[in-house]
This record gives sequence, structure tokens and C-alpha cells, in this order.
Amino acid sequence: MADLVAPVRVSPLIKFSRWSLLLLGVSYGAIRYSSLSKKENAIREIEAKQKAIREVKLAQEKERLAKEELAELARAAGVEPLP
Amino acid sequence: MSVRAASSLATKVPSLIKGTLDYAQPRFKIFLKYAKVELTPPSPGDIPQIRSGIQKLLSGFRTGKWKQTPVKEAWLNALVTTEVLMWFFVGECIGKRSIVAYQV
Repeated sequence: MADLVAPVRVSPLIKFSRWSLLLLGVSYGAIRYSSLSKKENAIREIEAKQKAIREVKLAQEKERLAKEELAELARAAGVEPLP
Repeated sequence: MSVRAASSLATKVPSLIKGTLDYAQPRFKIFLKYAKVELTPPSPGDIPQIRSGIQKLLSGFRTGKWKQTPVKEAWLNALVTTEVLMWFFVGECIGKRSIVAYQV
């Protein structure tokens, strides 16, 4: 290790700006992360509600279509369709 | 796995670990030697120098002296400035706790 060049004395101004920017970046990232995750969670909540509504609607639609199809089938076969 | 393969693995793994350590340790020592001087945060004793550095920067802008910087020096300054600015993004990655994207 003796033949290595001596480490550079980095100017204190550069050191100061490096570290202050690093800390600034950490706080910016953390703040932005929390605000984005809050927004995203609100959207997720709304989507979950809408999903429940949509699923009920889809189930009703499916039931209705199945009933119609059965009635059609009964008519085609010449049988009295079930009530 | 056959017994022979297992035993050869058992003899190989320690030597592999030893080789990795032999490779990494001196290099890590060199890294530490430089990092201890070049990467440490500024100490409170550096405050006057920081202040004078900022003053110099500002006065250079006020007096228009920055226009007389040689291209070579200006290029180096630009590189240093870029490096310093990149620390911000490293910090952002630390703050958001992921390397790519905000994984909310």
C-alpha cells in the first residue's frame, strides 16, 4: 500500500454540497414516497369498492342470461318453460 | 448427488471462500483508505472554508470572472458539479427505498 497515491483532499465546499444534496435527496425521496403511496392507497380503495359493485352486476347479468337461454331452449324443445 | 461430488464440493467451498476473501480484503482496505479521507462528511471545523468557498463562487458570478475560466477547467468543473448533483439521486433512491421507480 506504500506505492499508492495519497488520497486527494476534497474541497470542503464539494464535501458539503455532496452531503447536503444526499440528505436533501433522502428527504425528497421519503416525502415523495409517502405522498405517492397515500394517493395510490386512496385510488386502490375506490377501485376495491367499484370492483365489488361490478362483480354484483356481472353476477346478475350472468343469471339473467342463463335464465333467458333456458327459456329459449324450452321453447325450442316445445316444453313449458319453468317459471 | 454422489458422495464424491459432495466431498469435492466440501473441499472446494472453503478454498473458494478463501480466494474471495484474499481478493476482496486488500482492495477493500484500499477503498477504506481513500474513503476515509475523500468521502467523509465535512466536519464543523470546515465551516469557514465552506463559507469562503461559497463566497468565492458567488463573487465569481457577480464580477463576471467565471467567463475567464479556461475550457479545460470549466469541463472539469462541470464534471465535478455533475458528480455532486448525482449524490442527490443516490439520496432519493435511499429515501424511496428502491432503485427503480417508487414502489408504492
